[in-house]
Amino acid sequence: MPQEQRSPSTQHDDTAAAETRHKTTTRADAGIDDLDAILDDIETVLETNAEEYVSGFVQKGGE
Amino acid sequence: MMPQLHDSRNRGRGDAASSAHKDGFERIFGIETEYGLSVTGTARATDAGQVAMMMFQPIVQRARSTNTYLENGSRLYLDIGSHPEYATAEARTPGAALLADAAGEHTMRDLALDTQRRLRDTVDLHATIHLFKNNADSAGHSFGCHENYLVRRGVQLKAIETQLLPFLITRQILTGAGRYTDGHWTVTQRAAFVDETVSSATTRSRPMINTRDEPHADPESFRRLHVIIGDSNRSQWATVMKLAMTHLVLCTMEWGARSGSPTGLEHLALADPVDANLAVDADGADAWLVLADGTMMTALAMQRRMLDAVATFADGFHDEIAASFDGDPFMTLDDVLDEWRTGLDALAAHEWTALADRVDWACKRHVMAGIEARGAVDPMRMRQLDLDYHDIANGVLYGSLVRHHRMRALCTNEQIEDAVTTPPPDTRAVLRGAFVRHALGAPVTWACDWTQLKITTPVKDEIMLLDPFDADGGAPFARIIREVDASRAADSAV
Repeated sequence: MPQEQRSPSTQHDDTAAAETRHKTTTRADAGIDDLDAILDDIETVLETNAEEYVSGFVQKGGE
Repeated sequence: MMPQLHDSRNRGRGDAASSAHKDGFERIFGIETEYGLSVTGTARATDAGQVAMMMFQPIVQRARSTNTYLENGSRLYLDIGSHPEYATAEARTPGAALLADAAGEHTMRDLALDTQRRLRDTVDLHATIHLFKNNADSAGHSFGCHENYLVRRGVQLKAIETQLLPFLITRQILTGAGRYTDGHWTVTQRAAFVDETVSSATTRSRPMINTRDEPHADPESFRRLHVIIGDSNRSQWATVMKLAMTHLVLCTMEWGARSGSPTGLEHLALADPVDANLAVDADGADAWLVLADGTMMTALAMQRRMLDAVATFADGFHDEIAASFDGDPFMTLDDVLDEWRTGLDALAAHEWTALADRVDWACKRHVMAGIEARGAVDPMRMRQLDLDYHDIANGVLYGSLVRHHRMRALCTNEQIEDAVTTPPPDTRAVLRGAFVRHALGAPVTWACDWTQLKITTPVKDEIMLLDPFDADGGAPFARIIREVDASRAADSAV
């Protein structure tokens, strides 16, 4: 299988791991700009009737 | 109808091949996912059961049944209560199982969107189908995502209850899918619905682990562990990690059983697993758990102990364990251990937002906190957005999070499309998939299940595939394929 599919954490030394962690934290915290984009994306959901959407999902059985 | 596993005609080959794997660390993985279904946008209420039947019309046309096997070796069926369900074919690695599960999502989405087009043509222009890869509806009914692991017989049921169960309950701090309910976020989808620990039934009660013993393999060497306690994950990282972490714990337990040596997984039995499960659901890593010996430990501390035990064991058998990940498209042994440790470190530092790009509960909670910071969100809207994240047909939140790098995706579209038609490599799924591919459209009456391939017209033949590690099938497999192909040739000659 292609090597480039592997996750970034294949590096083993602590510095690299710490850097990965740091990058992840920064990306997750600096989410303000993406939040606008995400809110744009979900606008269609926010326009629908939440009550109808939620209460319409009732199911029995399974497992 | 399940084939007889003790049928003496078929024992030779399967047993010989199985016993070769008896002492190794190879594993067979499978994931069964039930999907929830609803329809919005129609002027009159639409019955989800009827829509589920509509979804399966193309399947019924092809297979004369709502239960069929696909050319990638997986099983697609309509479960009781109109749950579309997808059971992945046998996979040798966590990553291969992830791809098979993602192929299931892809197939389900296609079926749902095709049905939506027909609904819009015939019933209502605005009909919108929601297909939820989650585990609870709005009225408190629950449905499952079951994991299957082929486990060596040496592991006693007692160890499953006292060692594996505490692991499965606490792994949810990394693999829980979270749910918005009663005005707050939980860590799991399922904990509120699981009321028993280990049982042989699934429909009467809801156990965490099911022990009905259908190994679909040599029953003297293996049992099939059926894990019911887990959540359906949208996060591909969580899907692959839950399988990989569980695999490593099972390897450690198998080695302990084989060698009689202590593994470090002992003395972690819980006083009350149902209570502990609810505590993890509510408080995550910080949940206090009461052990059977009366001591207390947090869920995080329990996971640390387990990771330490697994890492120590993996250190001693590094090459053998690493080999069990050979061919995994996404993870090596060291990746899994690193990701596990990084996850626990982040939780220990109370930096759970650092995991928001891979842990489902953290992802949803983090983005919703951001939205709420802009202004109050009605609880009903919150529940809707929670459901939308799990809607694989028309949901927009999850896709948006992936596009904006708020959620990691491991699989490429090409890999998923390939997995729709290609079985996971190096398992008997390769044989089942090839059989289905040859039989579809041929003038034969055929059937198959996990361990059997069968034709009844124009000639009768059936073969048993008792070794899930065998992707070759030998002479009997070559014969049945020849018979199917011959029927096609005879038909075109007429």
